[in-house]
Amino acid sequence: MTHYPILAIMAYFLGAFLIVIFGRNRAVRNTLGFLGTAVPLCLLIMLAKPILANGEIIAYWMGNRVPAGGYAIGIALEVDAFGLFFGLLIATAVFVAMIYSFSYMSHDDNEPQYYTLFLMLCGGVMGLVLSGDLFNMFIMVEILTFAAVALTAFRNTVFGALEAAFKYLVVGCIGSTCILAGTIMLYAQAHTLNFAQLAAFLPGNLNIATIIAYALLFIGFCTKAFLVPFHPLAADAHGAAPAPVSVLISGVLTKSGLYGIIRLTYILFRTMNLGTVQFWLVFLGSVSMFLCVTMALAQHDFKRLLAFHSISQIGYVLTAAGLATALGVSSGLYHAMNHTLFKGLLFLCAGAVLHETGTTDLDRLGGLSKKMPVTTVLFLVGAFSISGIPPFNGFASKWLIYQATYQKAVESGNIGFMLVTVCCLVTSTLTLASFVKVTQSVFFGQLPKEYEHVKEVPFGMRLGMGILAALCILTGIFPGFVQNWLTGPAARAVFQANGYIDAMMGAGYADKFGLADTLPVSFTSVGVWSPISWLCLLAIMLLAVAIVAITSKYDAVSKAAKQTDPLTLEALESATAAYLPTAPANPAPRYATGHAASGKYELFFGGEESVFSQVGGDDLFWGFKHNWRHYFKFMHELHSGIVNDYSLWAVVALALAMLYAMIIL
Amino acid sequence: MTIVLDSLRYLAYILIFPGFLFCFLTGMLLCGIDRKLVARMQKRIGPPVLQPFYDFFKLLGKETIVPAAANRVVFLAAPLVGLAAQVVLQLFIPVFSFSAFRGVADVIVVLYLLLIPALSVILGAASSGSPYAGVGLSREMVTILAVELPLVLVLLAVAKTVGNAMGTGLCFSLSQIAEYQAANGSLITRLSMLPAVAAMLLIIPGETGNHPFDAAEAETEICEGMLAEYSGAPLAVYKLSHAVKLLTMTSLFVALFLGGIGGAVEHLLVGLAPAIAGGLAIVIEIIILFLLCIVLVALCCSLVHAVTARLRIEQLFKYYWTVVAGLALISVVLAWYGL
Amino acid sequence: MILLNYIASFFLITLGLYCIVTKYDLMKSVIGLSIMDYGVNLLIITVGFNPGGTAPIFTFGELNPDSFFVDPIPQALTLTSIVIGACVTAMSLSLVIKLKEMYGTTDTHEIRRLRG
Repeated sequence: MTHYPILAIMAYFLGAFLIVIFGRNRAVRNTLGFLGTAVPLCLLIMLAKPILANGEIIAYWMGNRVPAGGYAIGIALEVDAFGLFFGLLIATAVFVAMIYSFSYMSHDDNEPQYYTLFLMLCGGVMGLVLSGDLFNMFIMVEILTFAAVALTAFRNTVFGALEAAFKYLVVGCIGSTCILAGTIMLYAQAHTLNFAQLAAFLPGNLNIATIIAYALLFIGFCTKAFLVPFHPLAADAHGAAPAPVSVLISGVLTKSGLYGIIRLTYILFRTMNLGTVQFWLVFLGSVSMFLCVTMALAQHDFKRLLAFHSISQIGYVLTAAGLATALGVSSGLYHAMNHTLFKGLLFLCAGAVLHETGTTDLDRLGGLSKKMPVTTVLFLVGAFSISGIPPFNGFASKWLIYQATYQKAVESGNIGFMLVTVCCLVTSTLTLASFVKVTQSVFFGQLPKEYEHVKEVPFGMRLGMGILAALCILTGIFPGFVQNWLTGPAARAVFQANGYIDAMMGAGYADKFGLADTLPVSFTSVGVWSPISWLCLLAIMLLAVAIVAITSKYDAVSKAAKQTDPLTLEALESATAAYLPTAPANPAPRYATGHAASGKYELFFGGEESVFSQVGGDDLFWGFKHNWRHYFKFMHELHSGIVNDYSLWAVVALALAMLYAMIIL
Repeated sequence: MTIVLDSLRYLAYILIFPGFLFCFLTGMLLCGIDRKLVARMQKRIGPPVLQPFYDFFKLLGKETIVPAAANRVVFLAAPLVGLAAQVVLQLFIPVFSFSAFRGVADVIVVLYLLLIPALSVILGAASSGSPYAGVGLSREMVTILAVELPLVLVLLAVAKTVGNAMGTGLCFSLSQIAEYQAANGSLITRLSMLPAVAAMLLIIPGETGNHPFDAAEAETEICEGMLAEYSGAPLAVYKLSHAVKLLTMTSLFVALFLGGIGGAVEHLLVGLAPAIAGGLAIVIEIIILFLLCIVLVALCCSLVHAVTARLRIEQLFKYYWTVVAGLALISVVLAWYGL
Repeated sequence: MILLNYIASFFLITLGLYCIVTKYDLMKSVIGLSIMDYGVNLLIITVGFNPGGTAPIFTFGELNPDSFFVDPIPQALTLTSIVIGACVTAMSLSLVIKLKEMYGTTDTHEIRRLRG
């Protein structure tokens, strides 16, 4: 069992290399890709029982170089409940994305390269979350950044793909360099790169060098999670990349950044009991949450809109994680999980639309629900989930986050946290608004002529989306299960840094440094929400209403009307012909053109041949945007698309983080 | 045996009181009273109070037309889902001390359950493919956005006030809020709650889409907006949903701010035998609730309807996010510092 | 001597960042990235440097408590970091080539189709 983590990471990389060698043949390639993602998933699921249920921690020393004399020499993998939680998320998401890719990418050139990069990215992220060594983590960060950049530019003829990749590369490399510089500064102080040893050493040694290193690492991981000053990169990269890659970038890559931030602040530095750090994280999270949701409202590209929402949801997670309460971390992790599921689903739906229509422009699409009913239903599941509509999973986690923030406000007596609650709630409604916009302008409304030929996507793609949709519903209906078996243990692991240190470095190691776990682990939730009961009630009520509706012939009349619909005029005329003194001699040409040019029924049918009048997405929320027009104008000008500006934001964020870190001292 | 009785009891809750039948009758009556009052205020005679019932049954008998551009399933299913969700929501709002289903949903959940009926209208409208519906749904969504912020603040203020008094710091459970008020008097009597009460009174017409805030329906400019393509039975169901929403919002107000009356009623009946007192209390409470709902409808819907003209959608948004949200925020701050 | 190294490395990192932020040319951005990498590499080497230490190459027989040598780990890290830096340069240059083909310019103010 101790070998499972390394095998999980190796499976991805091995799959990548084998695809380079044997990947010319499609069957071989797909088999390798499937195995490469399915094997790690199985391995991690097998780890779930000992780690999540029993609370064990796996410490694996590569080459069996165990610590000697209190110093960790070898490179370690360490898997606690927190790491495994993210590992499971990632494995699930990449597995689904891989299944989806088989159909989705089948028309692209260079498929072997795609799968190689895909698996490299997966391996990088998996290595990052299972790693117990800071430099190893940096290597994984670089691997996943390169793979993500290459995949962003994969369809390099797509509008803006190269540009997005370049911007991502430049700012991503600034972030990676920050991580490297922070790593090396920690090494200079602690002479170790092992997490456990650092976690033992650092809390007692917060000096100017370590705190600057903290700021550097923090900004580095912010880049990976695309938090606020880095959010334009996410929007560009998600928009240009193929859909399964967008799933990876938003569902998986951002999680690695979040993982880094939480690991850093809770376990390595244990600074979360400081009000300043809590404020920093919550502030950053709230700003990301609100700013990105408003940016999303202004978008008119499907995937770009989703990308901004992605960062908005990451903001929720960071806000909750920054509360430093058990409920906060638990709900944050719950939302991180849900984000992976519903955002993956939504990106796959966007991919399905792109696959069939060739565009993701909200202003050009419309009325696809009749052509792609399954995709529409799955999209609605995702959209309801992300907007936090009960009983889907987004609601369950957001509801916990509202409580966590409000409870924090009450406990700390700080009214600022209550404003965060309000911000969360309003952001959630804004999210709903922008998904209403997508629903209206892509799936409902009128179907443009050019998409008459569109059909439903192939089974492989529907399967991928279906798995995620089912998970969205299940995790929403059983919040208790998720909390007890997934997020609860993970949150406990976050708070038990001493256990983590002891598991790696031998029992009693943490005590030598006189560290105590200061933050409370248990929590009670004040709210009441029982999705099952609500669903039962709704089902009974719906049944009752439906029975009444059906017995009162709710749509019986309309069925008859529909059958005669194309013939209404003819039927009417023939029916009334007997009463008319002179029936039209040869009415056929008039029906053929669809215009009832003259006669008695012009009044009723003259307007029937309606012009195409889709209400596009761009201006849908004018009433809202008008009041915020200065803000939107400012934001539009701010996101100039110039790589230098984004780099400048990164530098400014870095400088601010360093300055703020001085306050922590 | 008890299981059968229990399930029968719950079925009665769902279908009769406070569920479907109660919602249907009182909602429609409230609607009729509203129309009558508006008419009287405008020196018209107005329709009979039972007119909504006549309309409802007449619409049921009319032909249902599904537009050619519409997605048929969504178009027809949306009204039913909306109605069901609306009625289920009513089950969670306590009638003074009586709550049919406790432990299912708290204040925040109710806030989101309020979105489901609105969302189903929006989806139904979107699926109809009509440009009027498109404009209507955009306005409806903006209205929801506008109302959401003050409503959230009001609910948080109430949660904080009750939580302060109970010593837990915050209280999200509606039945606990009701019980607290039954024991300690209505929240409306508190100084800190007065701005929240005012805000809530302004939220009711916004949430139910009543006159100055009905940009989403705006008969005179966008032909009832979202309902433009609806006819026959689905339209009837929508009208019913709307009527039930009137009841939901007013009874939510009563549950949040006027819960103390339930305590007064029980106090009044304290001399009677418990079995009779319990039954009698419920009956009296229902009557009081209904009367209060009428008063609230008269105050926030009919009066406001009669004296104001429709706001444009961006004015509506601005109004809610400045005036109403400001009022609610004052209340939150007052509650926060324990006034 | 060591202090000068630290100053130089931070100067290089800052110079690289300055170059990325202020130079409106893709090639110069790439050069900035490289400079930044060199700065970090210098930092790593400096951290592991012990004045007067020998190269950390020993057999087990030679190793005794009095051995005085520079820290080998940062050197290993530097090697990795250099490789990664080379990758960054290669990757970004290939992107620049494609961008030049597609946009016909390397001016960053022209390459801003994705914005807002």
